[in-house]
Amino acid sequence: MTVQITFDSSWQDELLNRMDNDGPWGSWELYKLAIEVEKQTIIPEFEGLQAPKHLSQLTPLPHQLEVAKQVVENMNGKAILADEVGLGKTIEAGLILKEYMIRGLVKKALILVPASLVSQWVMELNSKFFIPAVAQRKSYVWESCDVVVSSIDTAKRNPHRDIIYEQNYDMVIIDEAHKLKNSKTKNYEFVQNLKKKFCLLLTATPIQNRVSEIFNLVSLLKPGHLGSESAFYGKYKKDARSIDDDEHLRELVNKVMIRNRREDTGIEWTKRHVETIPIEFTKEEQDLYNSIRTLTEDTHLPSASSFSIMTLQREACSSREAVYYTLKNMIKRQETPSAIFEGKIASIIKKVEAVTTNSKAAKTLELIQEIGDKVIIFTEYRATQLYLQWFLQQHGISSVPFRGGFKRGKKDWMRELFEKRAQVLIATEAGGEGINLQFCHHIINFDLPWNPMRLEQRIGRIHRLGQEKDVKIYNFAIKNTVEDHILKLLYEKINLFEKVIGDLDDILTRLDVGKVEDHLVDIFSQSSSEGEIKIKMDNLTSMIQFAEEMREGDGHAATGNT
Amino acid sequence: MQQQEIHDFLLRYFEANHCEFVKSEPSYMTVQLTEEMDKELMNRPFYWHYLEKTGGIPQPMQLTLVTDAPKTPEDVKGENIHFGSPRLHQIFTSTKKLAGYIRLYENKQGSPGRQTPLLPWLCLNVKISYQCDRKRDIYQSIGLQMINGRMVPDFHDQILSLSLTPKIPDYAFTLSPLIKPKSGVMRIENLLKTQINEEDHTWAEEARQRWKKDKDLLDHFYKEIDDTDSYEIEKQALKLQYEPKINISVINGGLFYLTDQAI
Repeated sequence: MTVQITFDSSWQDELLNRMDNDGPWGSWELYKLAIEVEKQTIIPEFEGLQAPKHLSQLTPLPHQLEVAKQVVENMNGKAILADEVGLGKTIEAGLILKEYMIRGLVKKALILVPASLVSQWVMELNSKFFIPAVAQRKSYVWESCDVVVSSIDTAKRNPHRDIIYEQNYDMVIIDEAHKLKNSKTKNYEFVQNLKKKFCLLLTATPIQNRVSEIFNLVSLLKPGHLGSESAFYGKYKKDARSIDDDEHLRELVNKVMIRNRREDTGIEWTKRHVETIPIEFTKEEQDLYNSIRTLTEDTHLPSASSFSIMTLQREACSSREAVYYTLKNMIKRQETPSAIFEGKIASIIKKVEAVTTNSKAAKTLELIQEIGDKVIIFTEYRATQLYLQWFLQQHGISSVPFRGGFKRGKKDWMRELFEKRAQVLIATEAGGEGINLQFCHHIINFDLPWNPMRLEQRIGRIHRLGQEKDVKIYNFAIKNTVEDHILKLLYEKINLFEKVIGDLDDILTRLDVGKVEDHLVDIFSQSSSEGEIKIKMDNLTSMIQFAEEMREGDGHAATGNT
Repeated sequence: MQQQEIHDFLLRYFEANHCEFVKSEPSYMTVQLTEEMDKELMNRPFYWHYLEKTGGIPQPMQLTLVTDAPKTPEDVKGENIHFGSPRLHQIFTSTKKLAGYIRLYENKQGSPGRQTPLLPWLCLNVKISYQCDRKRDIYQSIGLQMINGRMVPDFHDQILSLSLTPKIPDYAFTLSPLIKPKSGVMRIENLLKTQINEEDHTWAEEARQRWKKDKDLLDHFYKEIDDTDSYEIEKQALKLQYEPKINISVINGGLFYLTDQAI
């Protein structure tokens, strides 16, 4: 077995040069020091992690070190890091990157993250890992800097795209990689064509995906690991619920994916205290809510409207502003609205106008004053967000808004404002992802998302490593409304809030999460009576409980790493 | 590297570079940099450029380095230095850069009647890196006597006990080498390569197997896809990831003129 050996000859050229010029010659003391340095920094073993010795500011947790070791020693530097939310995937990725950099295997690295996380990654890599990472702000950065952090959306566009393809990256890290589950997207294609010598895909939610999604993700990392496309789908049905259905597939996936769950880490987590706060409508609010139901009686409504009515009802539980905004849009969308339709809408708008107070907002104010500390309010609706900001300001409470659509700089700025100046951060659903707010430990769910995963993401923003206090979660629900049903049956019966995330992941995997939401819409829009709603909700709950029992039945085999 | 070792290393580095210590405590040091060291470490080319243009008086900076923060008074503002800190690695790099080439004479003075003959040696201190998707390095020091071609391992350690000086001592003279430096380097290179080839290269074999495995998967994956561009990219990436290579780089080295008894 011969291995190619290269000998660096540049040194001798300079030696000859210095001999001709009679110097300059180095000092003996420095010469000896240089050898001592070299002996100290040389790494004589293939195995083992060097990075921890270099990171005085950081004490990685045992599971994080284990992940780093696994990836370097057993997975050849290509892995899907799929720890549950809050276990420190960034730290794991940083450790791996650092390890390769110390060993001289990685010089140039590209890190693609959601726009809102760019600054945070840059900051963490610099302060915790002493990796001189730079946020991509100018196009020359690609070439002139070794470690660049950017959003995919920027990177995939020209002129950046072409410049990036010219670079020889030793390592590519992609955060929130579950967004690449669809192989037909531009983002997917962009990442696929990157040269990935070492590659880390970070995701908290890979196994909620269908088999096709896991195929796409793994094929991005290691094409062929799950076979060719046709062979794969010949073997596994495209719409199969989860990879856990197939033992062999799960084993294959576990070769490229590491997933730690909270309970495996042996870390003491701060507790979650969940409090449901039932709220009563005022008479006017109740009127508004009831009037929306009358819309269903109208047969002239367009077909998609059962969903609209559902939405309107949920909005009525949030704020009159949210309802109003949707109504306006409904009218706008109809080219020639029927008189009956217009009449109905007008009558609802009248009801909107009759509402003068917001019971939830009043309760929110009371709660915030009582807490006297930082609070995050989550709402699904922008109109509610705006209203709340105005409302709190009226009562002398400073707040900052947060939305997914904010540009990177604005998100950072808002986070900063919240940390240093404002008491309250009001986030819409999209704002729930991708920002860490561990300095806060109170969440008010002003209204509830119907997708339990989104709820988990909300809580995950503050209940993660680094949170030192117990987390308090307040769930608002208006009595005798859709909201009440959801909260009571779904969230309370299956104890969703107390559950640590891992359990939830597993349960939802078996259920195919996206559909929970569909079920709910279906139940609420198609049921003709309260009784029917109740029966259907009970069914759904049993189904979830069944999935839960199933999981407990086969222990942790389903998610454990091999 | 322990904090104490780091501290001692820093002291020696700055001393060797003729910097004065404004403060030298067990837990921290404040160094008055020389002009050269300021340029070497402080990364302010514009200042120095400006000074050259305007002819001002150079004011090199002071640098405070803290090696034991808990024992350092709070009012001391300095950089915390530990094994992973960028500053320390900058100084490591600087050390190697400043001492890449050396020429020394054994300090054995002769007398007018009995001049000391000094034999020429070429020394190379090298790092050998074994690289695939993982990497390990070893350090080697080889000395070559440039008259008879004798090669000596651990040369650096052997000369540490000698008294060496940059100027040829009085009543000493150097013997002319028969081997030219260039061919001397080549002899050392060949020796290293021969040694390496005799080693056990299971690691490389295993890396090639990993490579082949991934390559087979890749071929299978692209068999039915007509996208040669991304196939080529992936194939190239696998090569970069796994292909076993050995690199020999020179840390430093130079010429040593030693008495016959020295080695």
